[in-house]
Amino acid sequence: MTDQTINQQKPVQGEKRMFMTGNEVIAYAALAAGAEMMCGYPITPQNEIMHYWTRLAPKYERRFLQTEDELSAGFSTLGGVLAGRRAFTATAGPGNVLMQEPLSMAEMMRIPIVLIVQQRGGPSTATVIYSQQEVTLTCYGGNGEGARIVYSPSNHQELYDYTLKAFNTAWTYRFPTFILGDGYQAKMRESLTIYDPAVRGVQMVPTEPIIGGPGAPGTEREAVHLRNTFNTEEELYEIITAMMGEYDRIAPSIVEHEAIQTDDAEILILSHGVVSRATAAAVRELREAGIKVGSFRPITLRPFPVEALRNALKPVKKMLIVESAQGQLAKLCKEAIYGETTPIEYIFKPGVGVTAEEVVAKVKAMA
Amino acid sequence: MEAYIGEYASGKSENAVNRALALHADGRDVTLVDLDTVEPFYTLRPIKRSLEAQGLHVIAWETVDTVGLGEAGSLLRADMRWALHQQGDVILDIGYGVDGAKTLQLLQGREACPELRIIAVINTSRPMTASVEDIVEYVGELGPVDALLNNTHLGDETNLTVIREGARLVEEASRRLGLPVEATAVDERFRHLLDASDVMNHSIRYLQRWMAKAYW
Repeated sequence: MTDQTINQQKPVQGEKRMFMTGNEVIAYAALAAGAEMMCGYPITPQNEIMHYWTRLAPKYERRFLQTEDELSAGFSTLGGVLAGRRAFTATAGPGNVLMQEPLSMAEMMRIPIVLIVQQRGGPSTATVIYSQQEVTLTCYGGNGEGARIVYSPSNHQELYDYTLKAFNTAWTYRFPTFILGDGYQAKMRESLTIYDPAVRGVQMVPTEPIIGGPGAPGTEREAVHLRNTFNTEEELYEIITAMMGEYDRIAPSIVEHEAIQTDDAEILILSHGVVSRATAAAVRELREAGIKVGSFRPITLRPFPVEALRNALKPVKKMLIVESAQGQLAKLCKEAIYGETTPIEYIFKPGVGVTAEEVVAKVKAMA
Repeated sequence: MEAYIGEYASGKSENAVNRALALHADGRDVTLVDLDTVEPFYTLRPIKRSLEAQGLHVIAWETVDTVGLGEAGSLLRADMRWALHQQGDVILDIGYGVDGAKTLQLLQGREACPELRIIAVINTSRPMTASVEDIVEYVGELGPVDALLNNTHLGDETNLTVIREGARLVEEASRRLGLPVEATAVDERFRHLLDASDVMNHSIRYLQRWMAKAYW
């Protein structure tokens, strides 16, 4: 194969400015990341990830399997990963609930699966449209203290960048990795630069078969002994303790946040994902009005940027937590800042969008 | 009678709405029909009443009518099915892609309606229709199409270079497909910044942004 024909097989060549929906961005990012297979079951608002993947996959010799439900989609994806494929799946809402069983197995067996979640309203089927109500489920939905990594992007460029990154994070650290988007980001249209990771110097971490590698197990190589079941509590205790210790050690190299004008902020607004677009706009407007306000956004919800948030809180007299949920981000935040006495106020709008105007009005009332 | 079809997020609804309003401004009697059964929750519903206040007849769901239908509530109402029998001009906003285009087959009297023109909306900043080859392949999948409409833009980042390049690609695709280019559509803010020579001598339609108000 000549260089030219290899190049022609790259779904994203060079860099180009495009106008896209969020779901489409994810499908292209997965292609550009070299993802080889997607297993999935339809659910709004993530459907176009599957639609675009199934339209594009045959052109680039990638695979797709539609399963009978999200349990199968999750487990089939795990099968692909175990065979050494860069594999991913996507879901939302009640599908995310079902995904937690395969994802819990991925935590126990350290299988580097990538899962895209486009949050919709809950509980249960609720709305197909939008929410930030899957934070707790996505960060802590497994049974047992499984370890996982959760990115919360806020715009299409980040959807692209962090989808690429999620595959590398998963395959570097061997923890299941999530992109936590939402229905608005899924359907919204905006421009971004899509690029071949190689032209930006981003190397994709190579994948390898986790089971079924070459050589006879036990003699020519170590046997792979993946387990999600243990006979004794002592065995389990040892495994979990070691896993959590490893997670704590790698967390500082994974954790990410964005702080806007926090150096002298007397009021700090905490939000994540698409809502942080409204809070960033509110900070601009409030600063023009002379109010000392800043915003803090965890980009990784797990691991949570504990130290960075505590530092940002130093000059702060009051804090405002804003989310399209009834206190799921607030719960993560309060755990992170345990011991601080900063008064906290809230804008909780479960399943509904938040505008900059609402945030501005609330902060003015607090100032 | 015109039906606007095409790729997801290509600008079908924006162009259908603006076309309906432009015809109405010429004193014509216009009915705008929301026929998006692919994504019934992301359609004209939020701006229906504002459009009616402009003087259009709008056949579309209202939020109050969809309460209780749940996620699977993608129904073709009788007035949608009989839309081609409306008096005056009829502008159809169709759901995206091949499955959206199939909705046209459900319309009563479609075969006996030679005046219905099916217009495929193309934005060359959309990856699936970014090159001449992609446009030709995509339009070929849509079924019967009477004309292409160049709607190339990059949102707020649109500039003359983007518009000119889009017009060039759509013009080339239209020649290969043997179809006319209905128009090049550009945002209203370009009204005094370009002329027909910038857009391959296509007629120019200036767009007011209506869909930005459809905050779901």
